[in-house]
Amino acid sequence: MTAPLLALDGVSVDYGLVSAVSDVSLEVSEGEIFGLVGESGCGKTTLALAVMGLLPRSAQVRGRIGFQGDDLLTLTEAGRRRLRGDRISMVFQDPEAALDPAFAVGEQVAETIRAHRPVSGREARKRATQLLTEVGIPAAAERYGDPPHRLSGGMQQRVVIATALANEPALLVADEPTTALDVTIQAQILALIRELRDRHRTTVILIAHDLGVVAQLCDRAGVLYAGQLVEVAPVERIFDAPEHPYTKALLAALPTRATGRGALPVAGGGVPDLADPPPGCRFAPRCPVRMDACERVPAFTSRAAGHATACWHVEAERAA
Amino acid sequence: MTAVAIVAPVRRRLTGRAAVGAGILAVLVVLAVLAPVIAPHDPNAIDPSRVLAGPDASHPFGSDALGRDVFSRVLFAYRVSLGVAVGSVLVAMAVGVPLGLLAGFYGGALDSLIMRPVDLLLALPALLLALSLITIIGPGSGVVLFAIAVIYLPILARVVRGSVLGVVGEAYVIGARARGVSPFGCMVRHVLPNSLGPAVVQASVLMGFAIQIEAALSFLGLGVQPPTPSLGLMLADGYQVLQQAPWADIFPGLAIAIAVLGFVLVGDGLRAHFDPHGVSR
Repeated sequence: MTAPLLALDGVSVDYGLVSAVSDVSLEVSEGEIFGLVGESGCGKTTLALAVMGLLPRSAQVRGRIGFQGDDLLTLTEAGRRRLRGDRISMVFQDPEAALDPAFAVGEQVAETIRAHRPVSGREARKRATQLLTEVGIPAAAERYGDPPHRLSGGMQQRVVIATALANEPALLVADEPTTALDVTIQAQILALIRELRDRHRTTVILIAHDLGVVAQLCDRAGVLYAGQLVEVAPVERIFDAPEHPYTKALLAALPTRATGRGALPVAGGGVPDLADPPPGCRFAPRCPVRMDACERVPAFTSRAAGHATACWHVEAERAA
Repeated sequence: MTAVAIVAPVRRRLTGRAAVGAGILAVLVVLAVLAPVIAPHDPNAIDPSRVLAGPDASHPFGSDALGRDVFSRVLFAYRVSLGVAVGSVLVAMAVGVPLGLLAGFYGGALDSLIMRPVDLLLALPALLLALSLITIIGPGSGVVLFAIAVIYLPILARVVRGSVLGVVGEAYVIGARARGVSPFGCMVRHVLPNSLGPAVVQASVLMGFAIQIEAALSFLGLGVQPPTPSLGLMLADGYQVLQQAPWADIFPGLAIAIAVLGFVLVGDGLRAHFDPHGVSR
């Protein structure tokens, strides 16, 4: 095992009194696609923005985000900016919103190159056109000068991916890259991300609430609930041998053909108020196997290689 | 880096009222620029035989109390009016847009530092502000231009700051930061082009009002000095003889109204153009 490319250690993010992400630790190694799953508001995007250094000033971040030997949280804003778009880049959920409507799409790719490389305008343009071709935009040279609204959603997301890949980053953070797209386009974009990982060995953190997307694309996945990481495992194990009660509930809620026409299965209860979260495991109030110990935050335990779960119940089962 | 910015939307044709407004303004600009060629008479030539003579074929707008041709004087007066209107707004934009942009983009202490003096300026009544500036510096069309620019600067700075505040939170600005674009680069290349729309609309309406302000100041004798033709001065002169020769006042008044109408129609059209949700008519 080589040293992990990205290592989060006890990362917490608070917005004032609201605890959006609480004590998340995880490691992502080079070249892997790591999925981050969880429902809306569980802190996926906040975690991604913390890695990017793009959280609003009102957010307080604690812990350590190790990346290629640096702790990102100790870098100056200028230092972080040098990494953004160069070593670490991001793909956003809604490509139409992520592209400047008043800017030619090719220029947005070229701008990313010129923000980090001392190249001439002509060279940046040439490279940007290559990138647009590489992400599958037909007649890239002609599309170069088009404003974003002339492109379809799928093509726009390809442009966003081209900007993210412009400087061959080591880490790509993709925040729900297919949520705003049609199902057929989704598959194309996912295939593109995998292809680019295979070609450039780019590490990818894929944020999704769609378990199907994670199953298709990821090597490993982490499950977030209300800002806490509850389970990390190779993706097959998440689906075949989930351990955490929340992961199980999440999978049970997946509609299948057998579900029929009745009401969809849902986990009982609601997400806790993050301004006043439960003291220990945040899933405890909804948990079918709650115990007294759940008043305290559970530590990660591991029953199989690479599969770790933060749950008192799982730990008790293992000890027995 | 070239922004396709304003180019892409403006390629859509201006329609309806905006086209009428643009047409009016185009005609007025041509008349003003070509005044020396078009004007049938020297605007300052005094003709004692035609004192307060009514409109006829060679003097379509009649003559004033000194026998000067009102039509020729209106044409020359447009040069001053349009020049002051456009010039004052350009000066106000040149200062107000960067101020509003900086205040809105950086926020915090810089915002207060910029906007408090701007608010102070905004709190003063416009004409009073212009009058005091002219009292200090002295009358003349250059001073009027400057005074109107001072009146407009805080308005434009406020409008730009407001739209900047809306744009900085847009995903594409965060996206630009995620690509490593410097804050200054984000501000100039992504925030500025996307926040200019409302300011452009405002600017076009303000140009119309600038014509009125210029005319008002000249009417009071604080703007353009005689014998240079000015719409405000002509109103003041004609006002003395309104009973005997209404044409000496009616035509300069109409000239003001048409110019203001042109600017307001264009502003109206631009507003509909920049606001995709609004219904333009």
